[in-house]
Amino acid sequence: MRIRPIAEGDLEELQALARETGVGFTSLPDNRDFLAAKITATEEAFLERTPPGRRNYFFVLEDETSGQLAGCCAIEGEVGREVPFYHYRLGTLAHSSVQLDLHRTIDTLFLCSDHTGNAEVASLFLRPAYRGSDRRGERNGALLSMVRWLFMAEFRDRFPEKVLAEMRGVFDEQGRSPFWHCLGSHFFPMDFDEADRLTGLGQKSFIGELMPKYPIYTPFLSDEARACIGQVHEQTRPALAMLKKEGLRWEGFVDIFDGGPTVEAYIDDVRGVRLSRRCTVTVDPTLDEAGERPRWLAATTEMAHFRAAWVGRGPDTEGCLRLSPPEAARLEIEAGATLRILDTEEEA
Amino acid sequence: MLVVRPIAPADLPSLERLAGEAVPRLTNLPAHRDRLEERIARSRQAFAAAVECPGDEHYTFVLEDLARGEVAGTATVRAQAGAQDAYYTYRQETLIHASQQLNVRREVQTLALSHEVSEASLLCAYSLAPRYRGTSAESLLRRARLMLIAQYPERFATLLAMAFPGFLDDTGQSPFWNSVGQHFFVRDFEEINYLAGVRSKSFIAEVMPQFPLYLPLLTPQARAAIGREHPEHEFALAEMLAEGFQRSRHVDIFDAGPVIKAERERLQSFRRAAWHPVRIRPAHTLPDAEPAMVANQRLADFRCVVARYALSPTGQLMLSPEHAQVLGVEEGRAVLAAPLALPGGEDGSVEAHDTGYDEGEL
Repeated sequence: MRIRPIAEGDLEELQALARETGVGFTSLPDNRDFLAAKITATEEAFLERTPPGRRNYFFVLEDETSGQLAGCCAIEGEVGREVPFYHYRLGTLAHSSVQLDLHRTIDTLFLCSDHTGNAEVASLFLRPAYRGSDRRGERNGALLSMVRWLFMAEFRDRFPEKVLAEMRGVFDEQGRSPFWHCLGSHFFPMDFDEADRLTGLGQKSFIGELMPKYPIYTPFLSDEARACIGQVHEQTRPALAMLKKEGLRWEGFVDIFDGGPTVEAYIDDVRGVRLSRRCTVTVDPTLDEAGERPRWLAATTEMAHFRAAWVGRGPDTEGCLRLSPPEAARLEIEAGATLRILDTEEEA
Repeated sequence: MLVVRPIAPADLPSLERLAGEAVPRLTNLPAHRDRLEERIARSRQAFAAAVECPGDEHYTFVLEDLARGEVAGTATVRAQAGAQDAYYTYRQETLIHASQQLNVRREVQTLALSHEVSEASLLCAYSLAPRYRGTSAESLLRRARLMLIAQYPERFATLLAMAFPGFLDDTGQSPFWNSVGQHFFVRDFEEINYLAGVRSKSFIAEVMPQFPLYLPLLTPQARAAIGREHPEHEFALAEMLAEGFQRSRHVDIFDAGPVIKAERERLQSFRRAAWHPVRIRPAHTLPDAEPAMVANQRLADFRCVVARYALSPTGQLMLSPEHAQVLGVEEGRAVLAAPLALPGGEDGSVEAHDTGYDEGEL
């Protein structure tokens, strides 16, 4: 399995992926024109033909033996530059009066665009058949999640100070978002799926036009809706745990539709960015991979030909990494190439 | 005979009783002896002071039943609703949320804290003993205040406002308070209402949510209570609308009771009030005529009664010696008279009619 930028010819497979993602996954709508445009934009991005802030780097996880796409992930260079990027910020207001012997704090949701200009890691999806570890112990989910830190570390000057990730919020058994039902539905003449679909298509201006501009006092929301604030969908918990391990934190920002948390960090503080380092490759046909456990993540250092995959060992003390011929082939490199490598189990 | 006059120190026990009898209990008339004593002192200062423009004067009146020798009601005018501190209301506003992209346009109602009513003169703290309810005493007590304002316009704002107690359910709960204020104060309506009366409403308002509230997020019961008066005050509201007041966009911050307002020159009692020299005639010789509010020309000794609007051919108002004595007028002195009945009803009874919201400010 390996990571590469999405390319022309992936459209069919990408649409199949999009169909599997379902509601609440706003960034990959099942819309052929949109997906085709996404592929074109990605090609432009990896060729660095567009300004860094406008780039969407869209990666796919490919089974290089069959050519099948197993999943995807993305990095947005800077959010909010072309269309507004909204959040609710969960704030606290003190309602206090000495004379009344009253001291009470009220949680309040403020509509904001505080994250404008931040990078975003997004669109992570892994087909169910590829979840968990394979026979070699390669963790596809972790690969999709962490490859982005290698990419950002290698091309650090293309990215801003901070990075964020929006996590999918809570939905009930009927697929309804209690948060949307209690809040958004009053202001948007459409159901959640439709609002979600429009957002995924990048048509976000309606949010600013229809969303309440004044803060929302959370006591006015139902108990079910309040319980969703900052909480993730059950299926999103592993992804959130992985981001938290990298140092991303919830700072009180939530999605305006489903109340799901947005986690964030300074890019330089992210574990995977800090600990990744460069090394030089040698190819060793005699390398015995038996008994190795792939805990090192390796990525190429040329943007246009970006590849990433698990490898069975780390660099030696001189910063030299031995690869088996299949590993080198997977990364499409030869001896002498420079790789960026991350020990995914190294303590921060 | 019933007469409206300024309150006196000896009225304290009666005032205390009336505060307790108000239905529902009034924020600005708490049954609290010290506050009521202050109220009387404050009123006496107001009536005694030389005033050139409205300030923090509170003029409190009582309705006295001379035959029974008891005080039957009380009412107050605050020269400025928010003279020392702001007078808080919620102002109902409509925001348009429109999206060209989606071709939708939505009207969203909000309630925003407002101080706009602070400058108006406020008719408030009205309480009438139960036995007099439904009689002309009710109108006399309510509208005698207008007869004073008409004579001393410099003491009052040109804009008059009046707040009515809001809707309470069968159990005395305010659905609006339960959906709004309760979240912020964790106290029930009755308790906060009493506290507001004993201390001041504005210091409580300062702890109210300062950002506008979106009505779609309130309970349906709370939304239905906005601008809706307490059932006991339906007649009072209808009468004041007939008098020329209009509903405003403002409602009470605790119970969402309606605030009505009027440019005073537009009120029926102002427009129809007229000066007449007095001619005193024995009661049994007076011709039958429509009832009128008749007030003397004094400030501290202000008196207002209901008498027959019997005019002589030369325009003199014919009063019985008893009325003349209560008003403290002699033959030849002038009094101010205005018909008690308002358009739309007879004998002061008014048909409820809703003039709708005004389109202007406040």
